[in-house]
Amino acid sequence: MNFAGDITVVAPRDAVFKALSDAPFFASCIEGVRNLEAIDATHFSAILETHVAYLRFKFKAEVELTQLSPPELIEAKVEGTPFGIVGRLTAITTTRLSETSGQTTIHYSVDATITGKLGSMGQPVLKAKAKDMEKHFTERLVAAFAIGGRGTAH
Amino acid sequence: MTPFDLVEPASLKEAIALIDPDDPDVRPIAGGTALMLMMKAGVFRPTRLVSLRRLRNGLGQITSTMDGELKIGAMTPLTAIEHSSEVKRAAPVIARTMRRLANVRVRNVATIGGALAHADPHMDLPPVLIALGASVSIAGISSERSMTVEDLLTGYYETALAKNELITELRIPTQGNSQAVYFKVTAGSVDDWPALGLAAAIVGEGDTVRSVRLVVSAATSKPMRLTAAERALNGQIANEVHLKRVADIAAEEADIIADIRGSASYKRELLRVFTARAVRAAMEPRGAPH
Amino acid sequence: MKAIKPQVGHQVGRSLPRLEAREKVTGRAEYTHLMQLPGMLQAKILRSTVAHGRIKSINTTDAKKIPGVFGVYTGDDIRTVIPDPYYGPAFHDQPILAIGKVHFVGEPVAAVLAADPHIAEQATQRIIAEYEELPAIFDEVEAAENKVLVHEELKPAGIFADLKHLKGRKGTNIALDFRLRRGDVDKGFASAAHVFEHTFRTQKVLHLALEPYASIADYREDGVTIYSGAQSPSFVRTEIARLLSWPENRVRVKVPYLGGGYGGKLYIKMEALAVALSMLARRPVKVALTMEEQFYTITKHPSTFRIKSGIDKDGKIIARKCEVWWNGGAYADVGPRLTQKSGFTASGPYDIDNVSIDSYALYTNLTPAGALRGFGIPQLVWAYESHTDMIARALKRDPVDFRKQNLLHDGRPQATGTILKNAAIEKVLDRIAERLNWKKPFDRGQGVVRRGRGLAVALKAVISPTTSVAVVNVAADGSATLYCGTVDMGQGSDTAMAQMVGEVLDMPAESVRVVPRDTDVTPYDMGTLGSRSLFHMGHAVRLAAEEARDKIAALRRELGEPEGSNTPLGDLFRKKYGMQAGNIVGTGIYKPDYIPPDSSGLTTDVTPFWMVAGSGVELEVDTETGHVRITRLINVADVGKPINPKIVETQLSGASLMQLGFSMFEKMHVDGGQITNASLADYKIPAIHDVPPVMENMTVDAVQDNGPFGAKGVGELATFGVSPAIANAIDDAIGVRLTELPMTAEAVLRGLYVKDNRPLGDD
Repeated sequence: MNFAGDITVVAPRDAVFKALSDAPFFASCIEGVRNLEAIDATHFSAILETHVAYLRFKFKAEVELTQLSPPELIEAKVEGTPFGIVGRLTAITTTRLSETSGQTTIHYSVDATITGKLGSMGQPVLKAKAKDMEKHFTERLVAAFAIGGRGTAH
Repeated sequence: MTPFDLVEPASLKEAIALIDPDDPDVRPIAGGTALMLMMKAGVFRPTRLVSLRRLRNGLGQITSTMDGELKIGAMTPLTAIEHSSEVKRAAPVIARTMRRLANVRVRNVATIGGALAHADPHMDLPPVLIALGASVSIAGISSERSMTVEDLLTGYYETALAKNELITELRIPTQGNSQAVYFKVTAGSVDDWPALGLAAAIVGEGDTVRSVRLVVSAATSKPMRLTAAERALNGQIANEVHLKRVADIAAEEADIIADIRGSASYKRELLRVFTARAVRAAMEPRGAPH
Repeated sequence: MKAIKPQVGHQVGRSLPRLEAREKVTGRAEYTHLMQLPGMLQAKILRSTVAHGRIKSINTTDAKKIPGVFGVYTGDDIRTVIPDPYYGPAFHDQPILAIGKVHFVGEPVAAVLAADPHIAEQATQRIIAEYEELPAIFDEVEAAENKVLVHEELKPAGIFADLKHLKGRKGTNIALDFRLRRGDVDKGFASAAHVFEHTFRTQKVLHLALEPYASIADYREDGVTIYSGAQSPSFVRTEIARLLSWPENRVRVKVPYLGGGYGGKLYIKMEALAVALSMLARRPVKVALTMEEQFYTITKHPSTFRIKSGIDKDGKIIARKCEVWWNGGAYADVGPRLTQKSGFTASGPYDIDNVSIDSYALYTNLTPAGALRGFGIPQLVWAYESHTDMIARALKRDPVDFRKQNLLHDGRPQATGTILKNAAIEKVLDRIAERLNWKKPFDRGQGVVRRGRGLAVALKAVISPTTSVAVVNVAADGSATLYCGTVDMGQGSDTAMAQMVGEVLDMPAESVRVVPRDTDVTPYDMGTLGSRSLFHMGHAVRLAAEEARDKIAALRRELGEPEGSNTPLGDLFRKKYGMQAGNIVGTGIYKPDYIPPDSSGLTTDVTPFWMVAGSGVELEVDTETGHVRITRLINVADVGKPINPKIVETQLSGASLMQLGFSMFEKMHVDGGQITNASLADYKIPAIHDVPPVMENMTVDAVQDNGPFGAKGVGELATFGVSPAIANAIDDAIGVRLTELPMTAEAVLRGLYVKDNRPLGDD
């Protein structure tokens, strides 16, 4: 599963980079993330709990920031294990930032693979959900910077 | 599959009372054809299923009113709808659509209420019902309401129903001079889910389109009215120049999802082609085969 | 019991309805999936979620605690009862449960036993397996570069003598490389007037028999009984005996009817796991897979075939070079055999002086690939018949005439050097052309819908050498019983064998009892595969019946019966034994001659019979959507003299419809090693509405001189030509050439748009 897109926020690139590489802030932009814990500077764990209609999905996720090159590149690896069902979610995310006149464009791409039962039969639903999450993420991110700086949206 | 409780209430009121609005692991089950697939996939593990089987008598009738409105009880199996002479008279497009809907074994068991509540965007009936202007009656714990099918279906498997509401009836308004068609475009086996569904209901006066509803499904996250295309077509003569323009608008306006049945680019082409074909077919003189 | 109507006349050549038909359609036929044994436990499997990885740990503590769970087992547990738990027909590379590493998403890693399968399933969700992920490889051509290795070392089995040279090989994903060199292709290309080179690809698809895999093992100290939906019970017996270090006669394999096989139920599938678990639990154990789990068990080989031909100025193909990469998945199964045996005919049914063939079996991190109806031939024909057609069109030659000019005939050497005999290739080609009205003008249409026609012919060498044994037992009342190991998986073998017994012993086929497969009773057979049974087991059955017949004649003489007397058999036995007692038993063993290929892949005796078939197609293409509608499908085959013409017809029809799905829309989609459409909800196979409105299935007038009653096999024939016939017809209709399967509407439309210079976007 691949997603890619651009999000433009009204903020300088440095500020955006700082915000995106701050785990609690980043997590706050994703619907359903809780129990975020920092294992060390580049390793985090969290619970992702989400749903599509009455179908519930709960993952234990481990995130590793594999590359931080301020102010332009953030790469992360995500590994998730679903609760109560055999499977595995892996994702590699690449985020590049570019700036034009006080606005920053976030170019993101996500390459995700789901294995196990969810991966064998659940692809259409998961794709729809992922698109939904993409939309929410964009809205929250834009809103966070619109209000007047990072960390003001939760 | 883990064991679950199966309860079989005798009345609608009892059934609604048994569904805990705060517990997503309790669900109503009608024919069960779609719910079983969710359970087999392991994405839904119920603790309790509330069977609506015993409501079949009360909610399984097909009637038409004096002014030609068609009413179908939510627990009516799809084959009953397929073979009903009332339905054939009021909305022949439904009977035609049924012939390729899933397969006869599924149609014997699945119900219209269950199909609408399931809200899989690939299904054949929802775009047809939206094109016909259909609406549903919904019963809650202490109230009833109604809404159009278009408003009922809100997303992938998502509906506007509260967790403890049940659809009781489907109503299809009289179609008058409107002619409706449905194209199920499959990419693989003829029996596959469609890569694209397109329903059109048109009132034509000669070559001119007096009113039109165009609905795309399967390639989108829910069945969607192609409102920009409808606006471009309304009041126009349905000639090839206009149809091409309308088709291009339709192809651009829908938010197409790629999947194993087709890339977004390909589905967009299908939408372009079948918008034009659907309008042409709906403008054919009454009785022409489709 | 239904009274058996006496049949006057010959049994062979009758279109006798299948003997088990009534039992099957009334739901009385026995299948492994439905069997129950007292005290039986059911197994559910935990499968790998990574495509390639080292197993760090498998935590079964929580799973074991669930009430109703009898036990939870991993590869380490298996090793306590079977120290070397690796199996396979070509390589002993597949572990009963993963050991040390996992090699594909879906590989069995652990098993739970419980009386209630739902509890067992629930418990598998509680097992926590941790893997250290390793790089994975999925493409066959890339795998041949050996940058990412699937296995550290190759483990050939030594079952097939031709694979011994591979033992201990390291550092490679190439499980086998077959080469054939005839003449000098480089010289041929240098002197050719035209040279054409194309590459073709096929996709991963699978058998999807309607009865999923099921095996039951009942292990006791002194023997094990296995009930299984298996196509090769003798192999199961020898392989399980080998794993247990037991003599063969302590392993009993019983096979009822199969709800379809198509090659998927060959060799070992769930039998070894069932045996190992039964050993550990000391209870009978059933391993019955769901339909979805079939996607993680065995599939067809995806392939890449690069083919190059040199044509002289007169239109003769003077050189052909074939390079084939077979995507074998994580374990070899029978892939290496397929790679070699299909290699013999990779250059097609053509008379070419200079031929070079390289056929590679590759390991990749996907579900293992094995035998699927055709055994590699459909993939080869896809390439060589598309390629040959493209050459004809490029040279502005009629596709039928071009083929006829280059076709092999009886008396000519095939690429291996074996002289062709009883191969009615030209007859088949001519019949297809005739049914397509090839000589008449064909209206390709002017509007949105265009029409086209195409055809293809193919050749296969039935695999050799293989052995079949049969026993015919005539009872004291004259009734006959046949014991043979050929498995009836819906192809009508029981009926055909009964007809052959009836023919020799001059009794109605319906009166012959064919005993269900049971290795305690039915003798050795190599396997029900590769369209070999009618010929090989047919000979064994014929020989057994002839021996019984000869013994009956001897008995008549012994009892002083006058020559030509027709005293009923019952009377003869009573005369001899004083009562209704005794038996006359006849045995037949058949193994054809075979000379293994030399280091250049050449041999003068590569096969006891050639398999010849082809297909012709008329179709319509909707040029606005790419949809292809096949209006006529013609399948023609050479089966010698059919034993049962009706069964032959249904086998041709069924094979071509199966291949139709593979040609037009079936595909296992893979993402990161995970199959993303692993269920019949998403992976569709042809159904009644996919059948072309006109389908003709026929045989040509022919005889297999060395065949039983002049016959030879039919099961795979109509898979050969379907795919390229369709591609050739699409090219004929719209000038678009598809070189990859499946030929979806989208692929056709994209081809059209590329041709019009406005390619579709990539999203």
